[in-house]
Amino acid sequence: MAELTTIARPYARAAFEIAQSEEGGLQRWSEMLQFVATVVQDKTIQAVLSSPDHDSRYKAGLLLKVCADQLSPTSSNFIKLLAENHRLNVLPDIVEVYEELKAEVEKTVEAEVTSAFELTEQQRQQLAKALSQRLQREVVLHCTIDQSLLGGAIIRAGDLVIDGSAQGRLAKLGARLSQ
Amino acid sequence: MQLNPSEISDLIRQRIENFEASAELRNEGTVVSLTDGIVRIHGLEDVMAGEMLEFPGNTFGLALNLERDSVGSVVLGSYEHLQEGDKVKCTGRILEVPVGPELLGRVVNSLGQPIDGKGPINSSLSSPIEKVAPGVIERQSVGQPVQTGLKAIDAMVPIGRGQRELIIGDRQTGKTAVAIDTIINQKGKNLFCVYVAIGQKNSSIAGVVRKLEEHGAMEYTVVVASGASDPASMQFIAPYAGCAMGEYFRDRGQDALIIYDDLTKQAWAYRQVSLLLRRPPGREAYPGDVFYLHSRLLERASRINADEVERLTNGEVKGKTGSLTALPVIETQAGDVSAFVPTNVISITDGQIFLEADLFNAGVRPAINAGISVSRVGGAAQTGIIKKLSGGIRVALAQYRELAAFAQFASDLDETTRRQLERGQRVTELMKQKQYSPLSVADIAISLFAADRGYLDDVDVSKIGDFESALHSFMNSQHKDLMDGINNDPEIQRRDRKRL
Repeated sequence: MAELTTIARPYARAAFEIAQSEEGGLQRWSEMLQFVATVVQDKTIQAVLSSPDHDSRYKAGLLLKVCADQLSPTSSNFIKLLAENHRLNVLPDIVEVYEELKAEVEKTVEAEVTSAFELTEQQRQQLAKALSQRLQREVVLHCTIDQSLLGGAIIRAGDLVIDGSAQGRLAKLGARLSQ
Repeated sequence: MQLNPSEISDLIRQRIENFEASAELRNEGTVVSLTDGIVRIHGLEDVMAGEMLEFPGNTFGLALNLERDSVGSVVLGSYEHLQEGDKVKCTGRILEVPVGPELLGRVVNSLGQPIDGKGPINSSLSSPIEKVAPGVIERQSVGQPVQTGLKAIDAMVPIGRGQRELIIGDRQTGKTAVAIDTIINQKGKNLFCVYVAIGQKNSSIAGVVRKLEEHGAMEYTVVVASGASDPASMQFIAPYAGCAMGEYFRDRGQDALIIYDDLTKQAWAYRQVSLLLRRPPGREAYPGDVFYLHSRLLERASRINADEVERLTNGEVKGKTGSLTALPVIETQAGDVSAFVPTNVISITDGQIFLEADLFNAGVRPAINAGISVSRVGGAAQTGIIKKLSGGIRVALAQYRELAAFAQFASDLDETTRRQLERGQRVTELMKQKQYSPLSVADIAISLFAADRGYLDDVDVSKIGDFESALHSFMNSQHKDLMDGINNDPEIQRRDRKRL
């Protein structure tokens, strides 16, 4: 939800700034946040967190216990703060914004490649090279296969979509003919 | 119609040959929520304000709100098939409608698509619906008249080509009738008409189109229809689409007339869209930019000089000026002109024709209130002969109304007051006119001449209508050359004496 992102942004930024100041913090915080977010999304935990029977201190304590081996002093403070402000449910969005900020600094971008046939290693390398040249970023490719594309591939990197699939071209041709 | 198979496969081959099969690069977002035609979209980082968006299923939208984490847009057309999670593409274009002479005689929707069942419109040109109005340098002052064919308007509140004259009044006071009569009277006068129907009943729109067809007025008219059942987004853009179609004629050194019937409903539609987009409400729950909504639209009605026409047509049309005259219509609630939208539009336009329910019910039709109807620039454009004959008629009529109100209390009146009252009664009677029967300049001149010379004084008030029509038919049959002379060269005055 768009509104949740708005709430999540200041938390994510604060976490990011702390992580940057710590040695090797970026990666550690990223793993921690992802872990906690997964925990928060768990059904049994969710039931406790959304219950009005327990106060925020209890909820924070519970989370801290569950994730104990992932947490540093600063990050457990972060969780406590979230619990105090009743914002534990925005953790998944905080992770998203945090990862965006991290990618920005590390100059990386995740690209999702959907192709009709499996790509060879050489094709992947070519693709990654071409993309990193275009986006001025280091590209991490995630490949999936979708045979309904018939041929070619669709590349998604953030909002940017490069549609080189046979299906997309056929759709374009269809739209043009029916004009 | 016989289909020619070879022609069609040729066409298809051509299209396939011209089809470029390069990979498509686009900016994409995801539908987050969908409520009452308003879509919130996540992503679309590079979207521009007012840009056209493409939804699945050949549906388009308009990006109106660019927020930090989402884009608020309206769907143009039906939105039932859209779902949360659908992909939305940027098009990089502003909404455009087809323009050109091919649209004349057609009924189209706010996107310029035909809705009259007469087949596709093969216009080669299109124009963005939002354009910046001509600046100071490009303009020229209003100097030619728009003949409405209505005595009361041509004599008292003359309209010039390039002017913006508001038609305002309660429901059922004949606002649309004035507009339609004006269109009907433009036959053979080189004035193209655009009638924009906003938020009206579809039956009313069909009625107007039929009337225009009956009087042969569709030949030079485009009807842009956005009925009450169309989405608010379509009603809100309809005037801009119509304006783009009218501007085409203006920019080619021709004259055009556009009627927005009515802008109150457009403001309502915009209010709906704005509130759903969660823009803060202001007075009467309208958003803060309602004034700009109407001012930027009406400012596009203008008269542009020959240099600008030459520049716009790349030197194709030389030495001709173009104009777009706007007749916006505003419906008031119980005569309240101090409501938000009426005051806004009154202040934007160059004058108003005020129609009153009381007058209408008293049988004065068109029910124009002479006292508060004005035309701020039309006087300069008024036809010479009518200007001469109608001088002071508006003020005299306004004074008569006031006097008549007082005279109700007095039993015995002095001679001058009585004569003024009788005169006023007769002029009021003379200003009445049936619907769908516009008069030529000469007819109007003869009527005014008769009133001016006091020929009506010995005619019974109830017989004035008959007297007038008899006078017109007499003049048109016995003195055809004189009438034609007036119609062709309205400056004549010497020959008036000959008539005596």
